[in-house]
Amino acid sequence: MTNKVPRSSRSALRRLLLVLGIVIGVVIYAYGWTTTDISLDEVQDPVRQASVQRAMRELLSPDLFTRDRENRSFFVEFAIGCPEGDLPEGRADTGDEAYVIFTPPCADSDEVVTVEGFHFPADAIARIQLYREGQQNLPFRLVKSDAADAQASEESVFDVDSDGHFKVSVKVPRGRGLSGQTHQVEIQAAVPSGWPRLSDTTKTVIDKMIETIFLALMATTLALPVAVVLSFIAARNLMRQITLPLGNVLVGFVLLPVGGWLGYQVLGPLGQLGVRWGEDVLPGLGGSAGALAGFAFVSYALGRLPLAGSARRVRSITLNALLVAVLVFIVGVLGGAGIWLGGKLQTGLLADLGNFVGTLGTLTDLIIATLAAIGGAMWLSSLGANLVAGPMRHVFSPLSNVLGAVLGALSGAILLAMTALFGTQAVLLGLLTPVVAAALGGQLAVEVYYLVPGARKPKRDRTDVDQMIHTLAYVVGALLAFAITAYAIDLLRAIVDERPPSRAMIDLGLFEMRTYVAKSSLIGGVLGGLAAGLAGTQVAFPLGMSVYNTSRTILNALRSIEPLIMGIVFVIWVGVGPFAGVLALTLHSIASLGKLYSEQVENIDAGPIEAIQSTGANRLQTVVYAVVPQIVPSYIAFTMYRWDINVRMSTIIGFVGGGGIGFLLQQQINLLRYNQAGVAVLAIAIVVSILDYASAAIRERIV
Amino acid sequence: MLKIEHLTKIYDSGVRALQDVSFEVPDGQFLVIIGLSGSGKSTLLRCINRLIEPTEGRIIWNDTDITDATDEELRQIRRKIGMIFQQFNLVRRAPVMTNVLAGRLGYTNPLWSLVNHFSAEDKRKALEKLDRVGIREKAHIRADQLSGGQQQRVGIARALMQEPALMLADEPVASLDPATSHSVMKYLELLNKEDGITILCSLHFLSLARTYADRIIALKDGRMEFDGLPEEIDDRRFKDIYGEDAVRVEIA
Repeated sequence: MTNKVPRSSRSALRRLLLVLGIVIGVVIYAYGWTTTDISLDEVQDPVRQASVQRAMRELLSPDLFTRDRENRSFFVEFAIGCPEGDLPEGRADTGDEAYVIFTPPCADSDEVVTVEGFHFPADAIARIQLYREGQQNLPFRLVKSDAADAQASEESVFDVDSDGHFKVSVKVPRGRGLSGQTHQVEIQAAVPSGWPRLSDTTKTVIDKMIETIFLALMATTLALPVAVVLSFIAARNLMRQITLPLGNVLVGFVLLPVGGWLGYQVLGPLGQLGVRWGEDVLPGLGGSAGALAGFAFVSYALGRLPLAGSARRVRSITLNALLVAVLVFIVGVLGGAGIWLGGKLQTGLLADLGNFVGTLGTLTDLIIATLAAIGGAMWLSSLGANLVAGPMRHVFSPLSNVLGAVLGALSGAILLAMTALFGTQAVLLGLLTPVVAAALGGQLAVEVYYLVPGARKPKRDRTDVDQMIHTLAYVVGALLAFAITAYAIDLLRAIVDERPPSRAMIDLGLFEMRTYVAKSSLIGGVLGGLAAGLAGTQVAFPLGMSVYNTSRTILNALRSIEPLIMGIVFVIWVGVGPFAGVLALTLHSIASLGKLYSEQVENIDAGPIEAIQSTGANRLQTVVYAVVPQIVPSYIAFTMYRWDINVRMSTIIGFVGGGGIGFLLQQQINLLRYNQAGVAVLAIAIVVSILDYASAAIRERIV
Repeated sequence: MLKIEHLTKIYDSGVRALQDVSFEVPDGQFLVIIGLSGSGKSTLLRCINRLIEPTEGRIIWNDTDITDATDEELRQIRRKIGMIFQQFNLVRRAPVMTNVLAGRLGYTNPLWSLVNHFSAEDKRKALEKLDRVGIREKAHIRADQLSGGQQQRVGIARALMQEPALMLADEPVASLDPATSHSVMKYLELLNKEDGITILCSLHFLSLARTYADRIIALKDGRMEFDGLPEEIDDRRFKDIYGEDAVRVEIA
């Protein structure tokens, strides 16, 4: 009873809010109406109506087929300007010979005459023109009505009916010195002959359509492997469990550049040696066989040794390193062999295959050093993290804090030096350094907050208030770090003046360094060192979640850029053509498939993962045995779906020069050749609906 | 000998699933853990092979501290601990044989297992284990074609492939009908009696626990409520464990 009044007033308030909401909604909608120029004037403009009618009519009358036509000409005399004397006689009706009657029999230029013809070839397409020896023929343009002031149309072609009869009104052509003379008038009748066949337009369209379909196929298949790998590291459920002690992570991070350098210096030349040998085939084969045999022998010999504990570990590390080296060499040999095969197969039936293999070989040659560097970085980093894992567990405070400070300072310096190197390239990339510094600063502030007596660190005892203070500390720290970094590296210069960072160098004794990079790395070192020093090496670092967040951010950013825009960039890089389209669609497909796939991974049943883990399987085995079987059907379905989407997108990627049918369509539209454009539109509609249906059918069967 | 010392698990959400649980399990014992849903039975079992990381406390098995093991050591330890689950947790789209062979993953070179290659010895063993649980003829059909009881037997065969010395069974019969429940429990009893495998099994039904257990532990809200012989659970203890309103339900 007591809350009756409040309730009714509340409902009145709600009603008022509703009305207000509707009014605001209408206002916003009206603003949108104006902004988008919605107007009925244009729609009703007769000129525009006529053009759209013509465009639509022609689009819907696609120039699909053609057939040969045989031209037959009939000549008749016609006087322009009615000279004195006898008029040329019309031919008499002999029953089967073609003849025409002009009414009136003579006329001046621009006057309208009616021409009636008999016994012409049935169903022919005909035209009348003034025949002039050695000069261009002048057409008699068709007139829609008999009135003298009637407008001549642009057309001069008319149909002969099935009796061989026609009757048209035409305008006598104008020309210098025509008047007062009798001329030869040619009546051309084109009779269809032979079978209908595809028009040239259709042939070009089919050609381009095939290009389009393959463009989509290439983009999808190229994106597939990258997206599959990304989908695992962008899946929250797989990554969340991966945490490592901070110390191990820092050791691994510090070793990344070292490993990269080693890989580039040692493995890179080895791979390139493989390419050189592979190009001569025999040395390559011999080298690979030798390397494999050598590896097998060494691993067998070492395997016989009765080792235990750390010696065992050293052995397995050595063997792994050897295996990596052998594999890099063999990949190089394969690349070289590709180049050789490509050279052999330049002509003949297998030329396409040769081109394919050859390009792959060249690509291997180009990127093997980079791949070796990445591989080396990953290998050394994980090796370091693994090796220190044992000893690190017995490092306790205060040593763990000292160690953390040293490693944190190194890592922070390396991290911000890398972002600063990116930042020298463009304004937006320059934001990266302060943002990363802010993340470090926020973490540092949180660590400082933990120093306060009474601050509760472990999650389990934290109340909402604790959580709020925690967040507040993070935000304050992040903002401070951002501001300091932005000031130190003069972010305003980049953002406001759009100037690249200063090129001033600083002499560090051993080597020179750009001040911009040095400053960034100093900030990183201080922030990283303090934060890691306070946290200590023992604290758990959510490695998986940071990888997850990074990859998700990259995927989302990539996905938000339309392939058309990417197409523009790639056209600048590799020129107009389907290759640019392939690259643009590939990049977008990676982002899009990566997201779709990773959501599938996130939706799997966790039970099998638990079960496989409990058997003592490692992480890779768990993925292969518990995750992969669950996701294969939906991965296939999404790949089909993506191919379908890529075909649609590749029909328009040509508008920015990305090849495929869009390129043709755009040309025809620009030239106002709507009959031809109609063919392209029809082809797109057919192919897209077939693929749509096919991919739906396949997806239905698999899932 | 498995020693659980002061085991505590507090989830990130703040839920205290286990609080200071300590007990010892001698080798060869059939230990049944009972308690209401949410009393911490599953968490306890999963802490033992560290599918769930304990917050505090130690778990020592044959003088090895499981809670202190590195990833590599933990995998070595897990190989010797079989586990079966309420939902069987088979890879449903894979054949029974692959599911059983997965039990050998801890012993298999990761590179070979990537291409689904197992030694002839492992395959022979897999058929032998399937024979033991009475479904050898199902080896090559998909796991999701089997009935619940059969799927659980595949789960047991998979765990047996590990040659385990300890078996964790997380409510292995909760998704099965009473008759099938007994058949699955009988297999566990057989492993306990014939192979001498220590078994830690969580169960809902006291009647099943009484039939198969050497010893019963009861959990209530994450704490040990009872530790003793099956016969010691009288009506008063029953109400302590399951609450005042609980009524005994017998399973035939």
